Amino acid sequence: MNNPHHLNPTSLKSRFTTRFLRALTKIHAQKSISSSSPTEIFRRYRRIKVAADKSMAYSVRSRRIWSRAMLWKLRSRSYRRQDPCSGRRSGKINQAIMKKSSNENTTTRREDGVGFVEEADELRQLVPGGEAMNLCNLLDETAHYIKCLTTQVQVMKKIADFYSF
Amino acid sequence: MDPPLINESSFSAANPSAYSLAEIWPFPINPGSDPTAVTGGGLGLRIGNLGGFGETSGLRDGSMEESTVTEQSVGCGGGRKRKELSSEDESSKIVSTTTSANELNDSNGKRMKTPVSKNGNTGSKEAEVEASSADGSKPDKNSKPAEPPKQDYIHVRARRGQATDSHSLAERARRERISERMKILQDLVPGCNKVIGKALVLDEIINYIQSLQQQVEFLSMKLEAVNSRINVNPSFEGFHSKDLGLQPIDGAGMIFGSQTAREYAQGSHPEWLQMHVGGNFERAT
Repeated sequence: MNNPHHLNPTSLKSRFTTRFLRALTKIHAQKSISSSSPTEIFRRYRRIKVAADKSMAYSVRSRRIWSRAMLWKLRSRSYRRQDPCSGRRSGKINQAIMKKSSNENTTTRREDGVGFVEEADELRQLVPGGEAMNLCNLLDETAHYIKCLTTQVQVMKKIADFYSF
Repeated sequence: MDPPLINESSFSAANPSAYSLAEIWPFPINPGSDPTAVTGGGLGLRIGNLGGFGETSGLRDGSMEESTVTEQSVGCGGGRKRKELSSEDESSKIVSTTTSANELNDSNGKRMKTPVSKNGNTGSKEAEVEASSADGSKPDKNSKPAEPPKQDYIHVRARRGQATDSHSLAERARRERISERMKILQDLVPGCNKVIGKALVLDEIINYIQSLQQQVEFLSMKLEAVNSRINVNPSFEGFHSKDLGLQPIDGAGMIFGSQTAREYAQGSHPEWLQMHVGGNFERAT
């Protein structure tokens, strides 16, 4: 009661923390040679960023459109890294699909009649998978995405503080 | 667009004028006077439709009448006729300016009568035209075959009117849903409650998401630096318990709205973290 997060290990926050810490230890273990070249640093940074996104999306599971889209994007990106030839092609296909769906949306979006089309478009760029959403879904997913992002930031900040004191 | 407007007002107000117009028309003006016959028949049909609409609302009925009347004026076509109309309907126009929607409803009743006489009139016309058209032997029969396509057309029009009505209803529901979600988002994003206007609220939300994403990037950079600096990986179980142990301290009931725009500057304020960490997430999932 006084410690709900201990009692509730299935909360999204603890799920994310577990996953993210696991990924961090993995990344840390893989870094055998402490290379300080900028490319290495950047690559590690990217890995941490991807790990954070991935563990967040996995913690949400496929309940949400944005988490599904994020997982899909990350997966296609990792495929690209493994197999550059086919990966690039699939990336292009993805882009084409995205473009197509967004183009289809523009026609319906113009007749939305809401006064904030540009802002909604901008929001669609920010929320993963937002290109193919209508406005109601977009706002729903945005709300959830914001909550998840704040959780992510909290946990990461806490971990960083813990490591760096 | 001016002449149709005049026609609307004049026609909707006083159909007797249309009737008198039909009387005035000399036959040679419209040698192939099928259009008039069609419109005559169509007028009666329209009234049937309007009778259905009459129950909905006065305003709606008025708009429907307007649309049908414009149709009819289009059907009548010729500039000469239109001129006659405008010159001849001065008196009726005065009436039309004072007519309210209810009176328009009443004019339905008037209209009910006029097409009959008009049909008779045009029927006599058609009796002369018949030779060229060679369509039907009697005016009644001649007006009948013209009706079904007209009815179809009107039916589509009416349906379209209904569709816009339901569409507007659905649109209203959608707008309500959107504003509801906007309200939720406004509660979620700090400093967004004071902002007025959906576009500005969305701007605020976009800024907030961008700042959060930047914070994630910044933190992963920081974690990278920290992670590389620390040689000994602290036992992650211990950290985990410690991390989770920290949480209950940070008052679990902090509302996001109480925050200021301070955290946009992705600073490393520990108290900011304390404010954020709470049961906020569980509240809304």
